[in-house]
Amino acid sequence: MATADSTTEQVLTRVRATWRRLLEQPLVWLAPTLVLLAVFQLYPMLEAVLMSFTDESLVRPGAEFVGIQQYARLATDPEFWEMLRVTAVYAFSSVVLHVLLGLVLALAIDYGVRRGLRGHLTTRVSVLLAWIVPGIIIGLVWKVMLVESQFGAINHFLGLVGVGPVPFRSDPTLALASTIAAGTWRGTAFSMIMIYGGLQRVPTRLYEAARVDGAGRWHRFRHVTLPQLKSVLFVTTVLVTIYALNTFDLIFALTGGGPGRATQVLALFMYQEAFQDYALGRGAAIAVVMLAANLLLTGVYLYAFDISEEV
Amino acid sequence: MTHDTHRPDGATTDSADTHQSDGTTTDSADTHRSDGGATIEPERPDPSTDTAVGRLEKFADTVGSPVVVDAAVYLLYAVSVAFFVFPVLWVVSASLRPAGELFSYPFRLLPPEVSLSAYRQVFDAGMVTWLFNSTVVTVLGVGGILAVSIPAAYAFSRFEFRGRRGLLGVVLMFQMISPVIIIVPLYTVMSTLGLLRTRAGLVLLYVGIQTPFSIWLLKGYFDTIPTELDYAARIDGCNRLQTLRYVLLRPVAPGIAVVAIFNTVLTWSEFVLAFTVLRSESRLHTISIGVYKFQGQYGNDWRAIAAASVVGMLPLIVVFLGLQRYFVKGLVEGSLKG
Repeated sequence: MATADSTTEQVLTRVRATWRRLLEQPLVWLAPTLVLLAVFQLYPMLEAVLMSFTDESLVRPGAEFVGIQQYARLATDPEFWEMLRVTAVYAFSSVVLHVLLGLVLALAIDYGVRRGLRGHLTTRVSVLLAWIVPGIIIGLVWKVMLVESQFGAINHFLGLVGVGPVPFRSDPTLALASTIAAGTWRGTAFSMIMIYGGLQRVPTRLYEAARVDGAGRWHRFRHVTLPQLKSVLFVTTVLVTIYALNTFDLIFALTGGGPGRATQVLALFMYQEAFQDYALGRGAAIAVVMLAANLLLTGVYLYAFDISEEV
Repeated sequence: MTHDTHRPDGATTDSADTHQSDGTTTDSADTHRSDGGATIEPERPDPSTDTAVGRLEKFADTVGSPVVVDAAVYLLYAVSVAFFVFPVLWVVSASLRPAGELFSYPFRLLPPEVSLSAYRQVFDAGMVTWLFNSTVVTVLGVGGILAVSIPAAYAFSRFEFRGRRGLLGVVLMFQMISPVIIIVPLYTVMSTLGLLRTRAGLVLLYVGIQTPFSIWLLKGYFDTIPTELDYAARIDGCNRLQTLRYVLLRPVAPGIAVVAIFNTVLTWSEFVLAFTVLRSESRLHTISIGVYKFQGQYGNDWRAIAAASVVGMLPLIVVFLGLQRYFVKGLVEGSLKG
């Protein structure tokens, strides 16, 4: 009996020692992450590039290498350029609105906290409320808001003052503006929280020093706050841009890309080509274009903000 | 709503303290030099006042009396609360109207006669199944994300190995890739692995996609904890896993809370991946897919669509209103490195 016990003990000790040694290997800790990233991110990315050079289809087995034919087809398709323009307008307006509104709200809430004003918490919670609503449902909420009948809030109130009904979702320009408004309704919270966090980390002594030097409110903002926020603004802008460039659910539910193709962003186009027209190869080519746009913009921001050493 | 307690002066003193403790000198002459050469000049009566910017600066400084700014900030609060809350109220209001009733003049947020018939429609269409599926996927997904990203964040924070920075960069790069972009090849990957139309596939996919950002956030929290704690635990005979579990997990808890809340919102709301992976397998459909399909069927029945929207957002709103304090606090205090 006693010998059996001591052998178990020995085995246990050895197991424990091996375990301890294993845990000294960073790879053990990182393995699950690396496997998942390889399967669900790295491989699909490479596969997207490969697929874009084929005519792979969802309904027909096998695929042939077709070179740059898919890209050539995109480049000569006037509708593709139109969708690129729609995507650019949507993304650019979204980034400007999200970041500016987020900055203003973050400053206002920070100011309110410092001065002990009432209502800053309610404001913060209200903005965050919009952010947690699922994208599909935001699309539907705004559909209901903008509908051209008495059920649409905006048209309801416009009707009270004798205007309208305004065709928010059937006029091409208004439809695009509506998607941008709905996107801003959702996206502002993220910028606000990021920038608010950044504001909390500006050392107060910088403001004190500026005040001693006689700097007014604007100077303090311009020469203390903004430089200190630079890297937060960078990260926020990059993330918001990527988010806006790839918006899908909200537009899918709000306008479905219409009227015509007025709100057809690249993500929607890609989805249609791949899963409604079953042309995986063509969808992949659009995906590669989107990927390139994402990487390009990240690069531009890195250069423009010049904070490579901080991120 | 309770008021944040750590707020008013705590925040300011906190940040001042951290800065002193990190070893930098704190006299104001030094401050001046360290803020990137942007010298802060006093009000200057120089010619630049004639330029647009100069005038703007002067304007901002003179108008910037506390009373005016307070008033402007209050106005901004009111406008933003209205803008962000009103659509939700409107949809709730629309969903409660009896069939066929329009918004009457004068406008009333609550209809004179409240009807739940729109909700009956939504529940008959399978809302309980969607809510159940979303709950399962969210719980498993967030659990999986934490199980994978906590060890990884620990490794990036506590190990010194060759290529650590590079590897972290690669992991972060994936954060820059939107899942929408890889949706087409993902479909074939899931198909090859036999994961199409399965809940397990969707959960694994969420873990794979949302892990990078979680690692990044968590690593920031680990970095703020002094390594002396680790050494003390190691001397007491803990292996690394025990050190993580018994010593580090508690101080990292605010970060874990942030990551959990953040991923709960993302997972619950996600649409395009779920739509692509689950396809037509309607008994697995999550809330977003269910509501989307529902509105496709009910076209112009705005009451029903409003009711579906309310049911779809309510669980998250309830959870979030309870937890948002920890979320913001965790984000602000922790080191969302910025």
